[in-house]
Amino acid sequence: MPEEVRIVTRRLHEFPEDSWRIERALDDGAYESARKTITSMTPDEVVAVVKDSGLRGRGGAGFPTGMKWSFVPKDVFPKFIVVNHDEGEPCTFKDRQLAEEDPHQLLEGIAIAAWANQATKAFIYCRGEFALGSRRLDRAINDAYERGFLGKGIFGSDFDLDIILHRGAGAYICGEESALLDSLEGFRGQPRLRPPFPAVKGLYGRPTVVNNTETLSALPSLLENGAEWFRRLGTERSPGTKILSVSGHVNRPANYEVPLGTSLADVLTLAGGMLDGKAPKAIIPGGASAPLLTSTDVAVDFDSLKEAGTMLGSGSIVFMDETTCMVRNALVTLEFFEHESCGKCTPCREGTWWAVKVLERIEHGEGRDEDMDLLIDIANGIDGRAFCPLGDAASWALRSNVKLFRDEFERHVSEGRCPFDGELVGVSGSPARHEGLGGSGTAPQPGAGMPSDAEPEGN
Amino acid sequence: MRHEGAAVEARALSDEQRETALKLVAKYPNPRSAILPLLFLVQSVEGYVTETGMREVAGIIGLEPAQVLATASFYTMLKKAPQGDYLISVCRNIACTHLGGRKVIAALEDRLGVTAGETTEDGKFTLESAECLATCDGAPSLQVNYEDFYRMSAVEAVALVGRLERGEQVTSFRGEAVKSAREISYETAVAGLQAPGTAGELSERTIGGESPRSDTAPGTRPKETGEGSPNA
Repeated sequence: MPEEVRIVTRRLHEFPEDSWRIERALDDGAYESARKTITSMTPDEVVAVVKDSGLRGRGGAGFPTGMKWSFVPKDVFPKFIVVNHDEGEPCTFKDRQLAEEDPHQLLEGIAIAAWANQATKAFIYCRGEFALGSRRLDRAINDAYERGFLGKGIFGSDFDLDIILHRGAGAYICGEESALLDSLEGFRGQPRLRPPFPAVKGLYGRPTVVNNTETLSALPSLLENGAEWFRRLGTERSPGTKILSVSGHVNRPANYEVPLGTSLADVLTLAGGMLDGKAPKAIIPGGASAPLLTSTDVAVDFDSLKEAGTMLGSGSIVFMDETTCMVRNALVTLEFFEHESCGKCTPCREGTWWAVKVLERIEHGEGRDEDMDLLIDIANGIDGRAFCPLGDAASWALRSNVKLFRDEFERHVSEGRCPFDGELVGVSGSPARHEGLGGSGTAPQPGAGMPSDAEPEGN
Repeated sequence: MRHEGAAVEARALSDEQRETALKLVAKYPNPRSAILPLLFLVQSVEGYVTETGMREVAGIIGLEPAQVLATASFYTMLKKAPQGDYLISVCRNIACTHLGGRKVIAALEDRLGVTAGETTEDGKFTLESAECLATCDGAPSLQVNYEDFYRMSAVEAVALVGRLERGEQVTSFRGEAVKSAREISYETAVAGLQAPGTAGELSERTIGGESPRSDTAPGTRPKETGEGSPNA
């Protein structure tokens, strides 16, 4: 029977009633790692530990954290730490839990990162929709100031650190680090051209370290126990534990912290297996951006999933059983990317829009024989041509749904209907797109669907 | 405050609220960074981001109103039309859809007599379909004024509307009391304001001054001096 290895999620599991309160966190040893780090280690020594540990960013890209830090120029001030707490990758809910239930671990991690990079100002960019998380972070920050863990001369040292809580306002793209910085500067959240990278020219043009909530939350235990300890968990190239957000057709959807390299089959066992004992038909291994898998016979780590043609991404795993309509899955996924495309570049903005149109007509039984090839063509037109990874991700998800489940797409076309339990109810926040779909959430009326020869308005 | 001449224009914010706005601006090295909190503040007063409010924010930060609109229009939580007292956001994303989330949306549309994206005639409810709310462990899930409700069947969602309609105090899956739309906008606006730390000082030099922002992004980023603003 596989078991979790709870390190970053230990406190919130041990003290589910009040792990977020500073009194409980202090009883449990919170801030001791940061205190020791700041009062007894040089910044270079901290960077070296993080480098040696092989810790890779937990937000999605998996970039080595220590290396990211080492790009920060030493002689330019001020520098900033920016916490990417804009968790929005579909089916990822780990950062939300970390901030809601163990905000002091995050603040302690920020203090360590700030010392290592000699940044005296840190921003937490908290997703706008996270009301409870923001409340808990706000209180945690105030409590930490009161006890001298933030502010002037933290932990009795001569190092100052201020943390500023900043709320987003609803835009997935702001989870992309350069778009996040534009948003934090008060602009539309659109990605920047890189280089220069944020480490060199980031917030307000200053050197900026942008790290994910889970990455920073892993620092207190890492600095407490050392790089060698960290490397004993996980694999050679993917050391440490990772929180996996498991959802979909499983008995116990939740966050599970496991050593990287744990098999996907074991992850499914941890989540209580499939609902009603059904078999998994498709698995999203790393957020909506990740191409699908059809087998659980793979290890969950950065490299194994890459070899399997997909990616670990943010570590969110969705199991789908045989009742799942994969055209619907593709449509929901592409609706998401279409809605969240920032509009800056044409391949992503137009490509996701067209993909949704074609997927809609297939799902509603009005698809054409050539539509599957058309979808692949649309995916190829986005992939590698978009300004930022959002467009690429949309194309990967689209292509993998069509390629792996082409027979299902073809059945929709040949039967002129969705072979699963009714069509996807035509509801959307963008009513214009669904004009003629039969109104308030009912199935489309005959002949009222998207005309198969429709052209987009205004193009 | 540099735009005293704007007194003839309609104001969204009271004097006290303007003080709050200035404190928000003072948190940042660049006043423009306060644009989202200030727009949430406007929303907490006006119910949505009104033109009057955007002009006022432009005056406070030292931008053209069009620049404020350009930013506001990008973000889904900043509403461009009057909203209901309760904003019900139902997740339409992958895990929730596969577990019946769209049926919850359909049931709420029938119950409220609106299509997702619309507000009821009595102004009580706005229904919207939302992208992933990071509550997939509770799929299908929804939020009422950004408080989380897990594992909602169509029947439970409709019952929830009934309780809100009757004015009952409703608490979320996490035990948080549901606030009014204006209260939650205010809370969002002032998040982090109590903490003593700031990233910069409010001064004549930085208000409306040249942005220290990097010019790394392509596209036009004109120097924003606030001069020539209709509020000036």
